[in-house]
Amino acid sequence: MPAEPLTVWLLIVGGGAVVYLTRAFFILPGRSLQLSPDTQRLLRYAPAAALMAIITPDLGTVQGELALNVENLRLLAGLAGFAIAVWTRSVLFTILGGMLVLSALRFLAGAL
Amino acid sequence: MTARVALNQHPDPGGLRRHRLRLLKEGALGTAPLMLGLIPWGIVAGAAMISSGMTPAQAAAMSLLIYAGSVQLAVLPLLVAKAPLWVMLVTALVVNLRYVIYSATLAPHFSHLPRAWRALLSYLSTDGIFAVYLARYERASGDPERHWFFLGGAMALWVGWQTCSWIGIFGGTLIPKAWSLEFAATLGLSALVVMLMFDRAVLVGALAAGAVALFAPKLPLNLGLLAATLVGVVAGMTVARILPAKAQR
Repeated sequence: MPAEPLTVWLLIVGGGAVVYLTRAFFILPGRSLQLSPDTQRLLRYAPAAALMAIITPDLGTVQGELALNVENLRLLAGLAGFAIAVWTRSVLFTILGGMLVLSALRFLAGAL
Repeated sequence: MTARVALNQHPDPGGLRRHRLRLLKEGALGTAPLMLGLIPWGIVAGAAMISSGMTPAQAAAMSLLIYAGSVQLAVLPLLVAKAPLWVMLVTALVVNLRYVIYSATLAPHFSHLPRAWRALLSYLSTDGIFAVYLARYERASGDPERHWFFLGGAMALWVGWQTCSWIGIFGGTLIPKAWSLEFAATLGLSALVVMLMFDRAVLVGALAAGAVALFAPKLPLNLGLLAATLVGVVAGMTVARILPAKAQR
């Protein structure tokens, strides 16, 4: 069941406004302001935490159930993806490498 | 105010135009290494919008108006789960807070420009062009035409992103389900989160948020993501307080 069209459009327009606000926050008014180290931390920690909170349930659950075991192939391939990301700092290599590992694991699991 | 000098008032209009064109080109070429990463990322974001039940028109509008892959991929699961609008908007804000730092860093670089320019450059600001631009112009002084370099790189990334997004929107359904595109999206987010790990405190904060999101019981209204983020931020700030600045690296 897709979401209500009105909700989707409000999300698109409202989300666009919110995202533009963060991008233009200091550039558009043209004011230069030194952010305190604590503010800078807050602004950096929040996105990293939010993104990680999206990633872990995706890797660590299978059909909504906690699955922290070697039979959860997406978990293994996701960890490999993190290792590749740390190693290469590249979105491309992380996506390609992680997908390759997932395919290889699925092939092996099928062959066993 | 040199940047506001119109071309026809400049002592050497031909030279200035050539200089600007060269900066545009150098900016575009400077983003070339990022372009390869953009391709799977954009296609995945495009396809994910369609598989979340959005129409192609909605997906194209989202790609144009939001123009932030991390935000799009963060709100889509909430949209599918029918989370309240305000939860999705707060999530978009939180994921994009890093852009406030970019904007504070870039503001002195562009403060000499007319408002329309600043409005345009704000819209085009992304993780990629921020890194490429600052690698070349560390200080907000020097060449008053430096925004042309930013514009060239940002436009190249914009065209690349929109193109890949459209490929995902209109061709995503052709990609076999077995390829697990959602997993590719998770991998893309993983790469982004690793690049945001600039010290030990942010790592601790992110791990705490990830653990809460994984183990905590489901909260009503899909507030779990925001609650986990809050825990992560508090954990990160606490670690930053405890560890002396030098030990954080």
